[in-house]
Amino acid sequence: MRNKRTFLFAGLVLALALVFGFTTGAMAANIKIGVAAPYTGNLASYGDNIKAGVSLKLQEINDAGGINGQKVELVWGDDLCQPKDAGTVGAKFAADKSIVAVIGHLCSSATLAAMPIYVRNGMPTISPTSTNPTIGDVGKGWFFRNCYTDDFQGKYLASYVVPKLLGKNKVAIFYENNDYAIGLKDSFVAGAQESGVTVTGAEAYMTGTTDFTPQLTKLMADKPEAIFLCGYHPEGALIAGQGRKLGFDGPLFGADGIDNVDYINIAGKAAENTYCTVPFLAQSAGPAGQDFAVRFKKSAGRDVDWMSANAYDCLGILAQVIGKVGPDRKKIRDGLAAINSEATGYKGVTGLTYFDEKGNCSKPAFVKLVKGGEFVAAE
Amino acid sequence: MGKLNLPKLSRGNKVRTGVLVLALMLPFLPFVTDYILHIVIIVYLYMLLALGLNIVPGFNGLLDLGYVGFYGIGAYTSGLLTVHFGLSYWLIIPLAFINGAIWGILLGAPTLRLTGDYFAIVTFGFSELVVLFLTNEIWLTRGPLGLPGIEPVSLDLSLFGGPKWEFVGELPYYYLAIVMVAVTVFVMHRIQDSRLGRAWFAIRDDEVAAVSCGISLLTYKVIAFAISAAFGAVGGSFFARWVTFLSPDMFKFWESFLILCMIVLGGMGNIWGVMIGAWYWFL
Amino acid sequence: MFLQQLVNGLTIGGIYAMIAVGYTMIYGVIQLINFAHGEIYMLGAFFAFTFISFLGLPFYAAFLLSMACCAVCGMLLDIFAYRPLRQSPRLAALITAIGMSIFLQNLAMVIWGSRPKPFPQGALPAYFEETAVTFSGVSLSWFHLFIFAITLMMMIGLNLIIQKTRWGKAMRAVAQNKTMAALTGINVNRVISYTFALAGSLGGAAGIMVGAYYNSLYPTMGYIAGVKAFAAAVLGGIGSVPGAMLGGVVLGVAEALGAGYLSSLYRDGISYAVMIIVIILIPAGLFGKLIKETKKSM
Repeated sequence: MRNKRTFLFAGLVLALALVFGFTTGAMAANIKIGVAAPYTGNLASYGDNIKAGVSLKLQEINDAGGINGQKVELVWGDDLCQPKDAGTVGAKFAADKSIVAVIGHLCSSATLAAMPIYVRNGMPTISPTSTNPTIGDVGKGWFFRNCYTDDFQGKYLASYVVPKLLGKNKVAIFYENNDYAIGLKDSFVAGAQESGVTVTGAEAYMTGTTDFTPQLTKLMADKPEAIFLCGYHPEGALIAGQGRKLGFDGPLFGADGIDNVDYINIAGKAAENTYCTVPFLAQSAGPAGQDFAVRFKKSAGRDVDWMSANAYDCLGILAQVIGKVGPDRKKIRDGLAAINSEATGYKGVTGLTYFDEKGNCSKPAFVKLVKGGEFVAAE
Repeated sequence: MGKLNLPKLSRGNKVRTGVLVLALMLPFLPFVTDYILHIVIIVYLYMLLALGLNIVPGFNGLLDLGYVGFYGIGAYTSGLLTVHFGLSYWLIIPLAFINGAIWGILLGAPTLRLTGDYFAIVTFGFSELVVLFLTNEIWLTRGPLGLPGIEPVSLDLSLFGGPKWEFVGELPYYYLAIVMVAVTVFVMHRIQDSRLGRAWFAIRDDEVAAVSCGISLLTYKVIAFAISAAFGAVGGSFFARWVTFLSPDMFKFWESFLILCMIVLGGMGNIWGVMIGAWYWFL
Repeated sequence: MFLQQLVNGLTIGGIYAMIAVGYTMIYGVIQLINFAHGEIYMLGAFFAFTFISFLGLPFYAAFLLSMACCAVCGMLLDIFAYRPLRQSPRLAALITAIGMSIFLQNLAMVIWGSRPKPFPQGALPAYFEETAVTFSGVSLSWFHLFIFAITLMMMIGLNLIIQKTRWGKAMRAVAQNKTMAALTGINVNRVISYTFALAGSLGGAAGIMVGAYYNSLYPTMGYIAGVKAFAAAVLGGIGSVPGAMLGGVVLGVAEALGAGYLSSLYRDGISYAVMIIVIILIPAGLFGKLIKETKKSM
């Protein structure tokens, strides 16, 4: 029938479309650890960082014979930094009984979405990068992280970076409408109240916005001295560029979400004079960190970033624990929980890591600055 | 003379019964893991949604591009009622149904007198607005932070001195999904054969003729739209209690379109076709 | 601040107008909402990006070449996806349009990667950054002026083509009544292709300017811009070219003012709300004629 033919044709076009759209996952054997991060999508550069970090550690572990003779294998889970996909990745990892632990997720919102699944199925999870403070509560003992939380980062920005390092007192905030940025903004505002920094205005934006000119115009009318790029680097770079075009000359600053070489690539000249806080800075790290930076550069062909460093340490921590207790989910969780003091802490390239009862750890923050087209230590 | 007492099953019915039995037995087959059940439950959910959407283009000949809006409304109704009031799921189903219907009427009444293209556009705009609302009204929906920790479904017979049985794992949801799909199919069949259904078909095939038979176009269209929305909302309520986490970006336009494709592929208006369409698109 | 917001609004409004006329022209001739039009806009930006980055072409050359490529893409879209369905129910064509939109998005992801890319700023003439005009708190850079100039030129040019040339007349005829137009000797298919080409080139130009000005290219950029431009076309009355132009500008200004003064989070919502309200209250839009339901079923 005529109709059937046309519908079939339409369906064919669609099938073509969908064929392009889908990708698949991973395979099996040895000690398997799931690694969840966005490997596609516009935050895929973060996923690359994680991949680079764990891959280097994986190679080192396996070259040394694996853990107690067993090789380690990584299973990649692409969560696109979206809660829904994180849930799917979580279900997949949890259902695969040969996966004994998960490194991830990267984005706070993804981790928040996947944690209930991991809790229900008893999967120990360690995140190198999720900074939202509430994850510790949702994790119910199964969640650990070796990065600081946004509670800390926001206050650090408000009480140290802005007044003392930048010497400014009036700040306008651009924050992204997601867990990470809202939590960060709230703790910054709280810290600003204590340290006497004035917040002249705050504008929220959705992920993926490209036109910030109306909001910039609105914020700039109050003449802020600095702008807080409270979000991830893709939008941060655009805000920087458009802000400069509209005549803003003051310093820009952000948190770990801004720390990415793509920020400079996208914003170009506008990126100059941007500060950001990071959990790891090779120039300021101890000897282990600096040695790691060299090895990383050799293996990945580019400078190390804090996500890679944290991911590297995550795998290191897991390897140490599995070496002691064996590849069993519950035992791994207990083993991780036992790392709870300076004495039992893990000495990694990012410093000493140990967890409190919510799985959080305290780490120092460092400040980077974009100068001459690249990131340098700010102090 | 041998007179068979058993009703003779037509071939179609035999196939359907066979499929039903297979579906009921699926979780007990050896190679089936929780993950597979998870996937199959998603397909059932899409079947439910497709059946709901089927009413509008299939029985009525109008294009609803904003179906995901009702799905989202239902899901958030269910999620918020659970998180804030701890309501039992069995109470939520009818509430979601009613809420969906209300929104269907609210959206449909002013817009259903528009012609096909405009109606499609308006429904599209509506669903996008729903997503925007869900995203931005953080005080209500927690927006992009998502709504985690929704209690799973539970069967609480403690009032009758029975046990309280919480739905853990995929298995109970699997059967719940089958039951819901079965109920929906049953309802759809009854509607199809009823006066309501016949009025809809009349409208679809020739509006002018329908009006001249005394069918009030607007009323029937609104009813259709409301019922479609209600089923979408029920699907959403199941979704919320099943994945226990909601976030506005789960309800993008793409979902509407996907469900629409399922219906088109299966044959609009044909109930079983729609279900097969759901299977095909998902797998 | 109001004037600066107005400038912002006119800038983005002009862009919406350029995309909106594309939608409206295509709807006018084949009564199809070309969902894939936003993707042509996106391709325009990416083509220019490729020409500048990989072939080293100067900006203006890349601009023109990219517009030409988009024109071709528009025609190909028609020939392969829409023409075979000319006689089919509208639903099939609509689904195909959406399918092509998805296909092109994914194709772009495959070719250029899914991460946002910065427009090679070095290729833009250096003076673009500089302020050209300042008055009462508003600063306009040369880039702003360039966008205004191009948008204006294209609008005037389009109007001239439609009103004064033979092709324009043919397009108007096909839009009014295809069968009659064919009977008067117009090659309907060719006119439709020509319409697609014209729409495509405008959309592509819009894409390049947006990509360069906001400095961000990504494969899904066509979707949102497409929806808003479509809302603009509806506002102006779908099928009416001056309506689309006006609708685009009005929508852009409304969005900028809304984002500046009300809530920036609902700025996309402004487009949808406008669309819904306009359709419900004045379905014909500002300039259009009400589309009568054709006897063709769904």
